[in-house]
Amino acid sequence: MTDHGTGADTPAARAQKQAAAQGRAAGLETGWTVFSYLLAGMAAYGGIGWLIGRAVHVPLLFPLGMLLGLGISIGYIIHRFGRQQAVERAQDHGRR
Amino acid sequence: MTGDVGVLAGGGCHIFNGCGFPAPGLQDFNWKPFFTIGSFGFTKPMLLAILSALVVIVFFWVAFRKPKLVPRGVQNLGEMAILAVRDQILRPSLGRRGDSYLPFLVSLFFFIYIMNLMELIPVFQFPVTSRIGFVWPMVFIVYFLYLYLGFKHQGIFGYFKSMIPPGVPWPIYIILVPVELLRFFVFQPFTLGVRLFGNMFAGHLLLTIFTIASWYLLTLSIGLLYAVGSFALAIFVFVLETLVTLLQAFIFTTLTATYIASSVEPAH
Repeated sequence: MTDHGTGADTPAARAQKQAAAQGRAAGLETGWTVFSYLLAGMAAYGGIGWLIGRAVHVPLLFPLGMLLGLGISIGYIIHRFGRQQAVERAQDHGRR
Repeated sequence: MTGDVGVLAGGGCHIFNGCGFPAPGLQDFNWKPFFTIGSFGFTKPMLLAILSALVVIVFFWVAFRKPKLVPRGVQNLGEMAILAVRDQILRPSLGRRGDSYLPFLVSLFFFIYIMNLMELIPVFQFPVTSRIGFVWPMVFIVYFLYLYLGFKHQGIFGYFKSMIPPGVPWPIYIILVPVELLRFFVFQPFTLGVRLFGNMFAGHLLLTIFTIASWYLLTLSIGLLYAVGSFALAIFVFVLETLVTLLQAFIFTTLTATYIASSVEPAH
């Protein structure tokens, strides 16, 4: 099997295709990681809220825990992926 | 499959003759076993899963049983298939160092693709992955693989530490630990499996609804107009599903490659 792909691709075209494929893979991973964070935040703190609520007989702690978890997830997503994009933008500017 | 299609195939069930619309539902995903061994029933989805595996095995065996330096015939197709997975799925996530995972990713991609494609092939007409029991084993294989690779390459402590990016103050670590653990151990594999299942389930249901509706509305009345509309939608969904079958296999395999990449090398 050759290592050169198919057709008469130039190196520049190949690099462009590779960059596009990398962008697709990174986008997919980011999208599903963000979705998993949102679910995990609500489930984790909703679960903790439910347990404490059961112990102290305050059922309201369950939805409050879910909201808190959602807030923590959103904050973390902004911190992690917002910062990642800022770093990538800074690197792009550096290259230019 | 029970009920609806049987009622329609029996004829006579059309709009305006007192017959209610035999709406498809969960019952159309439950198949009567071909045969049973004790409490185990061998059903159509099982047969299709075995057929899908055989198609993949036989195709690649035929393509590469006597490989030539200048490929011809089926070997050409086989090489194109492998290069497509390598260049579009493996290399973007893992780079050249990930080439040892190519056989696994190629097998996974084509197995899922053929199982999905069974939805659109006449006679078979059922996507195996719309039964979630066929999806979980693949998810568990991927899950245990990336766990194993993570522990092997980063160590147990290092692997857990790599989940949270550096520079986070320690009180935040405590807040994030439950979220990270649940995301990693529960929701990451959960979303990987449920997305594939959900898309194939919904696609098959849509296709069944519009196909049954086309027959149900087919009368010499205004219903004929609706039947034509429903049939056009059935064709549209069919075309859409040809893309969805490929896309879902692509997404599952791409995410598998990115999970392997994050296990082999910690995220930055």
